[in-house]
Amino acid sequence: MIQSLCGAFVMVIDDDDDLRETIMEVLQDNAHRVVGACNGQEALDLLHGAKRLPCVILLDLMMPVMNGRQFRVALMNDPELSDIPVVILSAHANIDEVLDDLSVDAKLSKPVEIAPLLALVNQHCSEAEAKEQALTL
Amino acid sequence: MQGVAVLHEVRDYAIYMLDPQGVVLTWNNGARAIKGYLAEEIVGQSFSRFFTAEDLAAGRPERLLHSAREQGRVEDQAWRLRKDGTRFWADVVITALHENGQVSGFLKVTRDLTERRVAEEMLRQSEERARLLIESVKDYAIFMLDPRGYILSWNAGAQRIKGYAAAEIIGQHFSIFYPLEVRRLEHPDRELRIARETGRYEEEGIRLRKSGERFWANVVITAVYEPSNGELRGFAKVTRDLTERRAAEEAMRLASEAISIERLRADEARNALKARDEFISVAAHELRTPLSALLLKVESARALLAKVPLSGDGAGALSKLSDRLNGALGQIGRLTGLIHRLLDASAIVRNSLALRVDAVSMRDLAQRAVADYQDAAETAGCVLTLKVQSSADGYWDELRLEQVIANLLSNAIKYGAGKPIEVRVEEVADTVRLVVIDHGIGIDASDTDRIFGRFERAVSLENYGGLGLGLYISQSIVDAHGGSIRVSSTPQQGSTFTVELPRSSAPYTSTVESSR
Repeated sequence: MIQSLCGAFVMVIDDDDDLRETIMEVLQDNAHRVVGACNGQEALDLLHGAKRLPCVILLDLMMPVMNGRQFRVALMNDPELSDIPVVILSAHANIDEVLDDLSVDAKLSKPVEIAPLLALVNQHCSEAEAKEQALTL
Repeated sequence: MQGVAVLHEVRDYAIYMLDPQGVVLTWNNGARAIKGYLAEEIVGQSFSRFFTAEDLAAGRPERLLHSAREQGRVEDQAWRLRKDGTRFWADVVITALHENGQVSGFLKVTRDLTERRVAEEMLRQSEERARLLIESVKDYAIFMLDPRGYILSWNAGAQRIKGYAAAEIIGQHFSIFYPLEVRRLEHPDRELRIARETGRYEEEGIRLRKSGERFWANVVITAVYEPSNGELRGFAKVTRDLTERRAAEEAMRLASEAISIERLRADEARNALKARDEFISVAAHELRTPLSALLLKVESARALLAKVPLSGDGAGALSKLSDRLNGALGQIGRLTGLIHRLLDASAIVRNSLALRVDAVSMRDLAQRAVADYQDAAETAGCVLTLKVQSSADGYWDELRLEQVIANLLSNAIKYGAGKPIEVRVEEVADTVRLVVIDHGIGIDASDTDRIFGRFERAVSLENYGGLGLGLYISQSIVDAHGGSIRVSSTPQQGSTFTVELPRSSAPYTSTVESSR
């Protein structure tokens, strides 16, 4: 699936099917290409087989198999993937407390509103595109 | 005469002769040693000079001679005087001497028993003291039993503890103090047997008073032996009334049991509270994910709707649809607020309310809040006004303070519907004060502390809903800023909530954050 992608895309990792699909829906409505994964392990498998990397990953924290924290650590330890920006989506009252020293690019607390979500995604996608253009030039 | 010469040499006895009138005729060495007179000093003098003034006044010398004359012999023990005036305890025998059927004189033999007398007196006094001591002891029953267990003596303590007077108990068997069931087991005899065999018996047990009342006693029975031949003379019995001690111990035991039950209850209550907090935290957390999906669905639906041109046949329906979606978003907003408050409360309980401090103008904050609540106030028939002079700057967590003002305003509207509401921002030296005044139902004085508690409310749930968390969270936020929140209120006249914040809460921020 990813292999067929040629433009910039957004990866959404959340074990809640309804929320994941709704986020993907909203992003698609706003002209983003999206890929979903329902836990960290599935996302890692997709990324390892991908030709292109997402311009940003929206990451839930509490998930089965591999949770958000484990996924983030795995990503940082993989030089191929460590540059991908990660935005945390969390239902915790105090995200900072949960994240502790985990390095992330941004965080959104649930319930997520459309405007800040789109703003973050747009920002990261345009940065990624700019980088890509600079490389191809 | 040899016999007379021997008598003369006797030193331990004063032996001398008196004429029929009591005049000293002879004097031996013993008399000299005991009484101190030389023979030449006393021979020819009346023996009455050996008597004390009291005895002389009582006519004792004459009486003694009279008795000796009548009976042939008289014995006397009394104080006599030495030449130097000191007294000695004299044991005296006066024997009448006869010649031709007439009393021709008297033989007087005197022993000095002062030392023995003193020793006896000391013994008597010491026994008297011991007896008085034992008799007067009130805290212990101390009494003697004969070898078979019959009561020989009784003291004040025995009377107090057991209730019998000496006269009614002496001579009785000591088993009278034992309850019948114990007596049947021949327990009293066993006690004496053990005391006889081992010298001592001690126990704690039930005893009877004269009234029949039972009491808890400590009993020590000691065998008493005759020192000279080792024969058993009886038993000394000492009994203490431990009823009070036992009652005190029982009270202690009950008290400590009550304390452990209380502790257990407190633990249970704590655990129940903990379970509730955890449940609230988890529930609020679980609600957020579907709420996210719902919010995004409705927001995106509204966004899609915005792209549809509002013209033609369906324009009215589309317009209504847009209104409904906005309404749905409003409800989602309320739901989100409730969940946030629940999560805040559980964060406060976990002591992890973190502040993000920045430069904030309390005036701007209050103006925004008053503007936000203007519609709600109007709907409730309240005129909402703000009185502010300066920008009232400080370093605070803006979002948290917004929460505090919003809570105070929504309370004022909720409980003061139909009456004016005034918000004031004042600066007092290093402090900024926010005051919210309503003229609503007010709060009873007894409730003014309670309303800042978790899940507390001063009003009946039947009239007013809500989680009962608003003031609890507000107070925690103000506390975290190092400030204070208080209320003054008159029932049926309204309430005034006053929040005071130090301008800089930087030091408190670090405290709060490091406290997790």
